[in-house]
Amino acid sequence: MKYRLKILEEMVDVDVSHSDSEQTVQAIIEGKEYNVHYQNVMGRCFHLAINEKLTEVFVVTGNQGKHVFVNGRTFFVQDAGQLIARRARRKGSEEIPGEVTPPMPSVVLRIMVKEGERVKRGQGIVVVSAMKMQTTLAAPTDGTVKKIHTTIDAKVAPGDILVEIEKEAVENE
Amino acid sequence: MTMFKKILIANRGEIAVRIIRTCREMGIHSVAVYSDVDAAAAHVLEADEAVLLGEPEPSASYLNIERIIAVATSTGAEAIHPGYGFLAENPEFAKCCETAGITFIGPPSSVLRDLGNKTVARRIMESANVPVIPGMLEASNDIALLGREAEQIGYPVMVKAAAGGGGKGMRIIFDPKTMEESCISAMSEAEKAFGDGSLYLEKHMEAPRHVEFQMLADHHGNVVHLFERECSIQRRYQKIIGETPSPAMTPTLRNEMGKVAVSAIKASGYTNAGTVEFLLDQSRQFYFLEVNARLQVEHPITEMTTGIDCVRQQLEIAAGNPLRFTQEDITHRGHAIECRIYAEDPEANFFPSPGGITLYREPCGPGIRNDSGIYEGFEVPMEYDPILSKLIVTAQTREEVRQRMLRALRTYVILGIRTTIPFLIDVLSSPEFVKGNTHTGFIDHHFESWSQSREDEDVARIAYVIEEITSHGKASAKVSEKGWPTPWETLGEWRI
Repeated sequence: MKYRLKILEEMVDVDVSHSDSEQTVQAIIEGKEYNVHYQNVMGRCFHLAINEKLTEVFVVTGNQGKHVFVNGRTFFVQDAGQLIARRARRKGSEEIPGEVTPPMPSVVLRIMVKEGERVKRGQGIVVVSAMKMQTTLAAPTDGTVKKIHTTIDAKVAPGDILVEIEKEAVENE
Repeated sequence: MTMFKKILIANRGEIAVRIIRTCREMGIHSVAVYSDVDAAAAHVLEADEAVLLGEPEPSASYLNIERIIAVATSTGAEAIHPGYGFLAENPEFAKCCETAGITFIGPPSSVLRDLGNKTVARRIMESANVPVIPGMLEASNDIALLGREAEQIGYPVMVKAAAGGGGKGMRIIFDPKTMEESCISAMSEAEKAFGDGSLYLEKHMEAPRHVEFQMLADHHGNVVHLFERECSIQRRYQKIIGETPSPAMTPTLRNEMGKVAVSAIKASGYTNAGTVEFLLDQSRQFYFLEVNARLQVEHPITEMTTGIDCVRQQLEIAAGNPLRFTQEDITHRGHAIECRIYAEDPEANFFPSPGGITLYREPCGPGIRNDSGIYEGFEVPMEYDPILSKLIVTAQTREEVRQRMLRALRTYVILGIRTTIPFLIDVLSSPEFVKGNTHTGFIDHHFESWSQSREDEDVARIAYVIEEITSHGKASAKVSEKGWPTPWETLGEWRI
């Protein structure tokens, strides 16, 4: 089996073979070989022996990936293959517009653009607030505001598309 | 000895839970209040009685003075504990309690008013020979005057709001050319936050330590201190790590600062538990910063090293009972560190990260105390302060505490939201923290653009794959209902 996994912005291929009865996994990640024996205890807790070294990990499946806890750190791991498939289904086209989406659950305080307005990459588009802190969400790309999907005071969450920005067609000068 | 039979806790989260615990131990009936989004919050589940305040917005719930007083009256609560934040240092609230014949568990409203105004507090302290940071004793709205004062004090200067707190309206100015512009923006920020834009200046200090003294003052003229806490590790002028004793402290200095802190409390007419904050410079000179007129977030490290329950003392004092110990009776033992655990993304400039907690496991073992306001399945609301819990660790020496805290943090599992835990691990592991070279600029200086270590990423990838393989064919994990999880939910798969 082959997985393409994404942590932050980095995609890494993981080659896996496993045995259900032995509860073992052999994984090759970027040339490194890992022999793993696993035991599923207490639901989402796994005890792993990775190349003989024991580690306890916790895994919770979220909407778009899994949250993995290792030794005090949390990693958000996504299956890149699934992500691409999902995007393609939703858009049905190759052209992916710039989307403004909140990093955290928050409330919309201000919308700083109008539909049809031309914006520059990095320009402030929407101001959101959570837990007494404000942050400005910026345009991910140069382009034109295609559609505003939110209103002031709306409660929004990561993954919600607040504003769609259509990328500027490259013009010949 | 008199004691209340029933009190109302006008707060939420970990601090409300903390207060309710002492009430339970003392046989005092506790009344929790809550907003719509907190119907299943930990403090509601822990209390003897709980009353809905209203909409989630703080102004309609935890800041709604009229409603809170009405609930106290209708439930027959004799006293109100305000916790920290929200109404804790609001003189109007304390006054309303006094008028309604309800005991406010804290200092008198007049003292809150005096200490809440930073320049009034500075004048009180100066007249009591408490050293204050060189600077202005009267606030002003006159930018030209502020400019002249700055020249006299000497740059760099610190601009602060007279009505200030929480870093609002605060600026450090190194260059005289930026003075006017900074004052204008600080003024408008202070105006917005406190309804009072007046500013004052203090000399800016280079890399000071934040050292504070826990104080107790009863209504019989007894004032004692419970030694110091050092809370130099801050982000956005908010403490994230506190410890006691301070690595910079000597017995002579402690004695001297403790005496000054006692005179600061006496000079302001303070009663109940409070904290006198100082800045300690590199030549071991100390200067009064402010009085935090409430139960401090870091009070547990003092409790762990002195054995004194600060909340119990607050209740005894508010009920009119005298302190049962003198300064000489109070001793401290060992070392303690507290880490504030926030729902924040340390990689995104500490932006808040509210949301659902999908998995929760608390650390345990010797010397570990976790004051928490959350549980697995709880939805952390976006309306309030992002503090989730406080992890407090004690041991005999600072180094033992540091190692124990690292162990505790590495086994503290909170999934579903981002937390400051991985950041705290790196701060506690850093060589400068190990040496005790802490100061208020520590985070900006050593951790400016922090990102999580990439170590263990392969373990995370392997865990992903194994979870995928083993969960294949199983029904997807059900999101748990609101409320405390039952053993059937937390136990997972099991066999006899």
